[in-house]
Amino acid sequence: MAYVSMGEAHRRITEYLNRFCDAVSYQDSSMLCRLLSFSSNSPSLISLADALNVFQDASSLIRQSEKFSEYGEILAHLFRSLQSYRVGNLVEAYLAFDKFANAFVQEFRNWESAWALEALYVVCYEIRILAEKADKELTSNGKSPEKLKAAGSLLMKVFGVLAGKGPKRVGALYVTCQLFKTYFKLGTVNLCRSVIRSIETARIFDFEEFPRRDKVTYMYYTGRLEVFNENFPAADTKLSYALQHCNPRRERNIRMILKYLIPVKLSLGIIPKDELLQKYNLHEYMNVVQALRKGDLRLLRHALQEHEDRFLRSGVYLVLEKLELQVYQRLMKKIYIIQKLSDPARAHQLKLEVIAKALRWLEIDMDLDEVECIMTILIYKNLVKGYLAHKSKVVVLSKQDPFPKLNGKPVSS
Amino acid sequence: MWVKITVDTRHTRPLPTRKTTPTRGIQITTVAINNNNNNSNLASHILSSLQGRIKTQTTGGGYQSTSYSNQTAGGYPSADYSNQTPTTSNQGNYTSNPYQNYTPDAANIHSSAAAATPPVHYQQNYQQWPGYYSQTEVPCAPGTEKLPAASAFSQSFPVTNEMPASSGQPAPSYAQPWRQETDSSQPPSQQPAAAVSASNDAYWMHQTPNQQAYYPVPPQNHYQSPLETKPFYETPIQGHQRATYPQELNSQSSIHQAPLTYRQPTQTTPSVDTQRVSKIQIPTNPRIASNLPSGYTKMDKGRSPAGATQTPAYVSVSMSNPKGHTTAMPEPGTFPKSLCGFVERAFARCKDDKEKASCQASLKKIITEATNDGTINTRDWDTEPLSTVLNTDVTNTEPSSAPISSLQNKSPTRRPKSRWEPLVESKPFVKSAPTFTTGVKFGGWNHQNENNKKSSDSFQKVDAVTGSKPSYYAQDSAKKIFQRPVKRQRFSSGSSTANDNDSSSDSEKDLTPYYSSAMSLASSADEKKRRDSRSKRFEKVQGHSRGNDIPKPKISNFRRGTALRLGQDLDESGSRAVEDMDWDALTVKGTCQEIEKRYLRLTSAPEPSTVRPEDVLEKALLMVQDSPKNYLYKCDQLKSIRQDLTVQRIHNHLTAKVYETHARFALEAGDLTEYNQCLSQLKILYAEGIEGCTLEFAAYSLLYITLHSNNNRELLSSMSRLSKEAKKDEAVRHALSVRAAVTSGNYVMFFRLYKTAPNMNSCLMDLYVEKMRYKAVTFMSRSCRPTIPVSYLAQVLGFAGTSSEGAGEKEIDGMEECSEWLKAHGASLIADSNGDMVLDTKASSTSLFMPEPEDAVAHGDRYLDVNDFFTRT
Repeated sequence: MAYVSMGEAHRRITEYLNRFCDAVSYQDSSMLCRLLSFSSNSPSLISLADALNVFQDASSLIRQSEKFSEYGEILAHLFRSLQSYRVGNLVEAYLAFDKFANAFVQEFRNWESAWALEALYVVCYEIRILAEKADKELTSNGKSPEKLKAAGSLLMKVFGVLAGKGPKRVGALYVTCQLFKTYFKLGTVNLCRSVIRSIETARIFDFEEFPRRDKVTYMYYTGRLEVFNENFPAADTKLSYALQHCNPRRERNIRMILKYLIPVKLSLGIIPKDELLQKYNLHEYMNVVQALRKGDLRLLRHALQEHEDRFLRSGVYLVLEKLELQVYQRLMKKIYIIQKLSDPARAHQLKLEVIAKALRWLEIDMDLDEVECIMTILIYKNLVKGYLAHKSKVVVLSKQDPFPKLNGKPVSS
Repeated sequence: MWVKITVDTRHTRPLPTRKTTPTRGIQITTVAINNNNNNSNLASHILSSLQGRIKTQTTGGGYQSTSYSNQTAGGYPSADYSNQTPTTSNQGNYTSNPYQNYTPDAANIHSSAAAATPPVHYQQNYQQWPGYYSQTEVPCAPGTEKLPAASAFSQSFPVTNEMPASSGQPAPSYAQPWRQETDSSQPPSQQPAAAVSASNDAYWMHQTPNQQAYYPVPPQNHYQSPLETKPFYETPIQGHQRATYPQELNSQSSIHQAPLTYRQPTQTTPSVDTQRVSKIQIPTNPRIASNLPSGYTKMDKGRSPAGATQTPAYVSVSMSNPKGHTTAMPEPGTFPKSLCGFVERAFARCKDDKEKASCQASLKKIITEATNDGTINTRDWDTEPLSTVLNTDVTNTEPSSAPISSLQNKSPTRRPKSRWEPLVESKPFVKSAPTFTTGVKFGGWNHQNENNKKSSDSFQKVDAVTGSKPSYYAQDSAKKIFQRPVKRQRFSSGSSTANDNDSSSDSEKDLTPYYSSAMSLASSADEKKRRDSRSKRFEKVQGHSRGNDIPKPKISNFRRGTALRLGQDLDESGSRAVEDMDWDALTVKGTCQEIEKRYLRLTSAPEPSTVRPEDVLEKALLMVQDSPKNYLYKCDQLKSIRQDLTVQRIHNHLTAKVYETHARFALEAGDLTEYNQCLSQLKILYAEGIEGCTLEFAAYSLLYITLHSNNNRELLSSMSRLSKEAKKDEAVRHALSVRAAVTSGNYVMFFRLYKTAPNMNSCLMDLYVEKMRYKAVTFMSRSCRPTIPVSYLAQVLGFAGTSSEGAGEKEIDGMEECSEWLKAHGASLIADSNGDMVLDTKASSTSLFMPEPEDAVAHGDRYLDVNDFFTRT
């Protein structure tokens, strides 16, 4: 830490205070943002933090001037937070920032126009990030992490401030997205429901009115929620919206969307091109797609096993596992086509023996009972048209379209 | 014949948890026998069989047999049915004592003859075993409180009186004693019609339905662990005591027939009581003390619906006594009952001695005036405003605390009621000092007049014993009647209600609404305070008198005190953070040595004497694990173990073991609610790094999520939490396979896994079997044509005996079960050309349905079944 003289420290602090007050009085949102964004680690903020650590009595400085003392509470907490942040005491930093945020939101409520919306976004973002960091610190100290949860309730409060008729309402979606991020991280996604309901049903909100980036984020998260619920058509709509409207140059974001959209599309019987997977570095899906194309059950199982952790964490494991039925369908179709080549007259009769043999070639050992069970399920789910003659152990396929395509419809349950 | 049976059940099924009940059962049964006097052969037979059993029970407690034999020798040489005595047990002898009270014709001479002698022996006994007698005081007092005053025979049924109190607790083990009671008590209540007052009839009527509720309950208790022999000794004595005291009292009163003299000893008793109670009661039998506060309140409540006949017997006595002694009023008997009620009401409103004194003064004035102008018998005391008496500050008197304060606040001027003191007063020693001296005085007097052998010390013990049965005071007048032919005739011809000096059910009736309304008014906060103070008084008493073991109670006192203070702090400020509390200082260290303990939800700070320390809990866990009893019993026991662990903040392998055990039992019984509770605790314990069967329970929780919660997110997160090692575990692998089978709907796989399930995995799968079968049949009837043989379904769907080795009969069983199941689910079964049953898939595909589960109950939890509740244990 560079040595800062007392005078220098005093100068820096006073300068910051002046800039803050100017930003507020001129309603300069971008300036305010810069003054508040901790995580940017801007040199000016770092130098201010150093100065604060030297010049301990910043609050008296704030009190000296009437101009500063108007925002005394905001600034005092902000300084304390910055100080702790700088020395690496993140829990303290969070606690002070939480107080600052509360004071700031209180002040924001009093401002008629929505000029400080951007600054509020910064506050919302910073508190979430700071809470995550503080939780990390708490966990490493063996304490229970709870700051992110607290941040969540603060964000909920901010949402309440914005959810009104005024011009500030366009900010609600940003806060909603921050809440989503919080809840997804905490694993309490069921808490999302209340915000979603208010966004989607409250008359004050017009979805198209919100900023595009927030809409994309919102659609991404709600799409993910639909994946959890295995409501594939809805997930498809939401994720596709996110994909269409997101910034095409942000590959990382596109990849994140595709990570969910691909399994959803696969579940609906839509198989992506390999180029897409390659372009966005989604290699984990390569084998899955391949297995679907080939009807290679073994490949699918291998792919799932190989990336089990990743799929479990992202939450698509169960979705991908369900693709097994489609793989079976593909396999049956293959057998059918091969039979057709040798004996077209009897091709529509699939012997369970034959299917079991095909599976054995795939190193999957199944007895006839199990094969029969799988066929029963396939027929029941309308992936195979026909019937199973239990006595003769034969699947009799329908002459017309024995393997109906899903065509964007989910497998019936 | 039924008498015999009940006696049998009594003894084959001792109920260690409720120490008091068994003997009562004995007592009552024998009473019933005695009433059927002509069946003396049968009776003696039963009694002799009783004797054998009792002896086995009480071996090791030699004192008991001695006390009995003393009694037998003294009390029964002249008895009408003395022919029984040689063959019968000691128990039989003592229980026949009450009999004479309510079979007037026989008992008349007999009682007077017998009455004179017993005290000698009793007192000797008391001397020998003072601890036992006084120990039982506490349980007696609340129960007998409600004895109908005029009936002497009701003494012999103390259990019934206590029943409202005990039934409040979920204690099905009482069921048997009660039942016997009902059976046996009916005859006496009808037979001596002359002796039994109307109020008694009503009393029985009231009791009977309650007991009948328990009647159908099949007897189920077989448990008794070695440690429980101790409570056992206590119980016979207790019952014995109950039965014999009346004799003693009678003797006193028969000798000194003036009301003044025979009442005085009773006055003195409470103070002595206090000492006695305190000395022995808690160390030997911790449960009694702890139970008391709750039983107390419950009784207060139970009193109001119970009807006038159940209202405290002490009312009338306590009224007449102060008048007789302290205010130099005319004979109390001449007061109208409504006046007694009025005075009682007035005193009930008093909060402290000062108020009481002023109240008494104004009462005296009012009554004197009324007597002088002759309106005492005409005035409507029931409607007389209390404000005339309580002009001091009626407004300050909380109505809610009124009934309790009437019990709690004893002024020296109101001695008769002071028998409540040992139970209620928190500082008995300060307050009872004057009475104690009187006790000694009268003791000397008694001792001179009655028995020269007695030392004054022994007299005190007698009093202690008499004091333990407050109802006797209430029944003084009744007993008097029994002993004097003239009065008895009056009693039988009139009725207790017609007699002015008897405890009047009229005034009690008047009081009942008052009590009930007061009780209903009781706010929870007041109630809580009172409860606290009530339990505190035991602590104090305990701390004072337990010479040999003073430190422990002191510690507990301190703790309790801290807890109370904390509670107060919280009440007052409400701002004190939970983290600031010194939980370690508040943590209870248990002293209870009993292995078995019923679960009772704590309503106040835990009592160290009822909490078992860790080593005892360990034994308790083993006991439950090896117990052959049903799940409900185990669940109850495990819950109490869990409670003891929790209040002592024990978090170690034992805790994990207890929860694991409970979770397994719960799974076995299909009790998912309890299982979930245990599992969530286990998760916390495992997270703390406590070792246990982590993998086994990981498998269970996986299965549970897969099969029951159906929450994809939860499933994903619990799957991702599994380590590589965990996935290699057999149970976890099995659970994962089950999950795969369920998500894909692979019923063949599911039922194969079902048969090979490790640990208790199959128990969780059990709960999904029905759904899986239904799903499978739905699939098959949609997909397969034209038919499927039932034998195939039975095999694939895991119906019994379908495993390959089980041939022949077993297979047929499985088929039958399968076709039953299919029919129940609306499947259409037909016989094919070979005569085999086949499922007509086309017809079935539209007719299948899920039937309502047979064991469904309206409230959704079949474990809350009423009958189950009663059969617990």
